[in-house]
Amino acid sequence: MGDIPIDHFFVMTLRRKITLRFSLVVFFAIFVGAIVYPHAVSFVPPLSRALEKLQINLGLDLQGGIHLQYAIDLSRVESDKKEDALAAVHAVVERRVNAFGVGEPLVQLAKSGTENFLIVELPGVKDMDAAKKVIKETPFLEFHEERPQEEVNKILAPFNDNAKKRAQDILARIRNGEDFEKIAREFSDDPGSAASGGDLDFAQRGMFVPEFDAVIFDAPLAIGAVYSDLVETQFGWHIIRKDEERWEGDKKEVRARHILIAKANAEGIPDVFYKPTELTGTYLKRSDVNFGSGGFQGGISEPQVLLQFDEKGAELFADITKRNLQKTVAIFVDNELVSAPVVQSEITNGEAVISGNFTLDEAKNLSQRLNEGALPAPITLVAQQSVEASLGQESLALGLRAGIIGLCVVMAYMIFYYRFLGLVAASALLIYAATMITLLKFSSLLPQMMSITLTLPGIAGLILSVGMAVDANVLIFERLKEEMRSGKSTPYAVEEAFRRAWPSIRDGNYSTILTSLILIFVGTSFVKGFALILVIGVTVSMFTAIVIVKNILRFALGMWSEKYKWLLMFGAPRTETEKESHA
Amino acid sequence: MMPILFKRSYTYIFSGTLIAASIIALSLWGLRLGIDFTGGTLMEVRFGDTPPSEQILNDVVTRGGGRSIVVQPSENNAVILRYVPMVDEDNEKIFTLLKELDENVQQLRVDFIGATISEQITSNALVAIALSVIGIALYIAWAFRKVSYPIPSWQYGLCAIIALAHDIIITVGAFAVLGKFFGIEIGVPFIAALITILGYSVNDTIVVYDRIRENILRARSVANFEEIVNISINETLARSINTSLTVIIVLIILSLFGGPGLFYFSVALLIGITFGTYSSIFIASAFLVTSHKLSHRR
Repeated sequence: MGDIPIDHFFVMTLRRKITLRFSLVVFFAIFVGAIVYPHAVSFVPPLSRALEKLQINLGLDLQGGIHLQYAIDLSRVESDKKEDALAAVHAVVERRVNAFGVGEPLVQLAKSGTENFLIVELPGVKDMDAAKKVIKETPFLEFHEERPQEEVNKILAPFNDNAKKRAQDILARIRNGEDFEKIAREFSDDPGSAASGGDLDFAQRGMFVPEFDAVIFDAPLAIGAVYSDLVETQFGWHIIRKDEERWEGDKKEVRARHILIAKANAEGIPDVFYKPTELTGTYLKRSDVNFGSGGFQGGISEPQVLLQFDEKGAELFADITKRNLQKTVAIFVDNELVSAPVVQSEITNGEAVISGNFTLDEAKNLSQRLNEGALPAPITLVAQQSVEASLGQESLALGLRAGIIGLCVVMAYMIFYYRFLGLVAASALLIYAATMITLLKFSSLLPQMMSITLTLPGIAGLILSVGMAVDANVLIFERLKEEMRSGKSTPYAVEEAFRRAWPSIRDGNYSTILTSLILIFVGTSFVKGFALILVIGVTVSMFTAIVIVKNILRFALGMWSEKYKWLLMFGAPRTETEKESHA
Repeated sequence: MMPILFKRSYTYIFSGTLIAASIIALSLWGLRLGIDFTGGTLMEVRFGDTPPSEQILNDVVTRGGGRSIVVQPSENNAVILRYVPMVDEDNEKIFTLLKELDENVQQLRVDFIGATISEQITSNALVAIALSVIGIALYIAWAFRKVSYPIPSWQYGLCAIIALAHDIIITVGAFAVLGKFFGIEIGVPFIAALITILGYSVNDTIVVYDRIRENILRARSVANFEEIVNISINETLARSINTSLTVIIVLIILSLFGGPGLFYFSVALLIGITFGTYSSIFIASAFLVTSHKLSHRR
């Protein structure tokens, strides 16, 4: 008693260490198992209840819901105000979406290149049109002023060049003998005469614009002849034919036909006639409905929408009214011209009135929408995905089924091919799958932006990673076979196999991780959902396939493994003599 | 030991035929691009009863403002409508019109992708492909930085890249055929599948090449390069087959049981990874030997 041999002491501590590590593996397996399947610990009700609260964040494609992507048009916002405008868009839409009352809506800004987007995700929403309307109803309010004539002309020039060319083509066709009346019916932009083949009936001097009179009264144009050139007037380009002449007293009357190719008219196109100012809904403080005094003239009071700007807005408005005296200032709501009153005097109190022939309800509605928040920049829907809840559940159920079948088949294959080692690898694979689910469940505790959401492609990534997770074990076991052939004892060969297989395992996973990272950084949400899970899976599987398998094997491989080598795996070298014949 | 390399001409003929067929299919028919790249709407609806005829559905979508319409029947009385709407509101209008046909019609999903987004997706996809190709090329260069015997290291890299190109061309060719005869459209998932194939298939090739390097060092002579390569392939065969087989098994299961949402994605991965395994064993190393022979003849 008393003198324990030193090497025995070391063996004892090593054995204890191995047992300790193995217990840690078992403990870890129980831990992840309980998280995946809380029912298993139902004998401790508070614990199982707490664990049941941990749920995987499911993507919209699995739980149903809608994903909306809006482009934010910042082209009219000054460059130093862009950040503020984006924040305002986010805040306004978030407020409206929250008021809509869906589960856990997500509203976030995204940027791609120079374009800005607003992403809205509404899980579990059944009526997607209603949801879209809520966002679409967020008004975009802006004030426009008249565009100077030179700018208008510049904008319209290409259209008018085009019109003139068309007129020239038509003139050429008529000069080539085509029927004037027929062409007039088909092409003339003069609504009064087109139907009658361009006929203008008898007219006296002064009834038409001077350029027109000059041709039919003064130019040497024969009866029945078409004037050789286009005649340009304020309306457009005319092709003129003189049909008859008569004297009514001492006044000459001429009957002519014409084909009009009209000029573009800015007054009919508010976007051309007006240009935006800096004053938008951002500067709106409050909106009310009142009844305009002007409306009393007819004995009926007209409902109006009253706008009260904040300080900066009032300043801008004063400026706009000052430089547009006696001109119109247009009020646009959602890119539509609502009213364009003439400015009578400079307005410095920051109050404006929209009187756009509203009914009382329309006025109330607009005022309410403005009070809920007006957008500083217009947004347009550029992409949408919606999945009905039942379709989502169907996808989830199918994905789960495929996952479970895949897991079972891979485990069966490993056990079939690698026997005892395969059984260990299969246990590690189960622990791997449970670890992944545990990670997904825990990540739901993180803030929304950081948590991992499981999507349908994510399920594909998860299932694919099950097939890849055993790669490391295949590498180790094949290496082990070779180490055993060279005559090493089984436990020593195991250590060698792990050590030597490691570089291949590491290198093999590098390229998968590399391409997955590329997919995460440039991909769409589908691709990200897939690649993120794949990267996590590949990393976690390196841990389970190496650390867990190694610790189980160290614990479980005793002297029996020397005796029953065939039990270890398929194709394991059995005896020393067999080894000799190999070499 | 199997004489895998000695029948090189057969594998070259087999792969050459497949690649030629893929390139012909691609140039004749091209790929059928989905809304991810063209922009447009994909609406899946389920009717209460047998869906109306294709002609009627076509008319309805046209009246609602949709152009370039494709009607595709799906499971359980569901129909997938693909079209390009003028504005987003058309999607609503078309569904209202469908409701007039059958009031029990149910909207299962609507994917709408505007022109700006589809352009962005397309350019992102191209960037992702370019980055992956560059990334993989750099990775191969790094992995073979020390291997330069008996052929220069860039030739190892080149042979590995040829094997990868082989896998990708055949996968893309298969989808040109699927697009032509089954109306299968490719979207972002297809690109993701291609890039994943690149990342995964290169591993097997690298493992075989690693073994070749090891065996050359051990043999201290490359008198019979072909035999060394053949031994290396045989030594790594079980490993190559087993690692790929487990992945191929899960991909088969995923295509069979994973549901329609993942079907073509898993089929693309399946084709690519299957040919990737084949090419790592039969093409990538065979090319090394051919390349070695060619440089020695000179």
